[in-house]
Amino acid sequence: MCDEATEQKVDITTSVMSKNDLFAAENRGFLKGKGIYTLNLISSPGSGKTTVLESMARFFGPRMAVIEGDIQTRRDAERIEKAGCQAWQIETGGACHLDAHAVKHAMDHMDLDSDDLELLAIENVGNLICPSGYDLGENLRIGLLSVPEGDDKILKYPSLFSSINVLLINKMDLLPHLDFDVDRAIEECRSLNPDVIVLTASAKTGEGMEEFCGFVENQFSG
Amino acid sequence: MVPHELNGRFPMHELSLAHDMTRIIGSALGRKVHLDRVNITVGPLSGISPESLRFCFTEVAKVEGFGEPELVINQTRAKIICLDCDIEYEAKEFYQGCPDCGSLSRRIISGREFTVDSVELEEGND
Repeated sequence: MCDEATEQKVDITTSVMSKNDLFAAENRGFLKGKGIYTLNLISSPGSGKTTVLESMARFFGPRMAVIEGDIQTRRDAERIEKAGCQAWQIETGGACHLDAHAVKHAMDHMDLDSDDLELLAIENVGNLICPSGYDLGENLRIGLLSVPEGDDKILKYPSLFSSINVLLINKMDLLPHLDFDVDRAIEECRSLNPDVIVLTASAKTGEGMEEFCGFVENQFSG
Repeated sequence: MVPHELNGRFPMHELSLAHDMTRIIGSALGRKVHLDRVNITVGPLSGISPESLRFCFTEVAKVEGFGEPELVINQTRAKIICLDCDIEYEAKEFYQGCPDCGSLSRRIISGREFTVDSVELEEGND
């Protein structure tokens, strides 16, 4: 790799994400071995990730466990526990994303051996850029976009929206009050990612949540 | 990710990536030496802000014992196939459709790359 005796320039050619990708592959293998299907939820702050997860916790109960990523506080994990699921909070202490090593470490603290457990949902730190390059070992990457954020966000954050498997448009109950064009959002997301699956919901009113949870359930029980 | 005292003040992932870069360089060289230049490639879908990365890397390289190398960033374009007219084209941003037919229906086939390509050692460090 390095022939420094004869020249000053040393070839390295290494992906900067390679270490993270290695941990991600380990996580994926570990979770597969336990029969657990894994989601990575990514969105901006305030788009409703935790409310979506509370609704999922009521649907899946002890079949689901949650890892919460936040810069500070256990508040989100407490909300999920109240809704009926095991939750572990990662406080990143300033970092703007989760990486595969942090998820591996979180899993060490969780009880993932229960026979009931089929699904692990990881709520990433609210951010549309930084989490996009970090594979956590998930099977399905879900991008949330909420109606108040505007329908123009997708092409502004192509690194995320080109990498998701599912786009969940949340806060659909606010659609009558805002100028969000659902068709435009879908068209622009497909322009980055022709295979993306789009679902719409309001985690607050519950509209569309049974369909969303049913879709997730079909991914691992189908 | 290597924690760093700056982490709390600069919540940007470019800081942890700068640490990863110095770790990769250190392990490829087997030692810490002052560098003249670090050559990297960054794709438009890597989620990296080249200027933030430059800012963080300059600081981290110094602290980690690699001197004050110039960071040379090769910013690539994404390779894209138009799903309407089948031509292949390249783009740095994604607002414009196919240069031939204008269609936004497309498949992006590259653009996430982020690699440390090579380093150039300071005179006297060989």
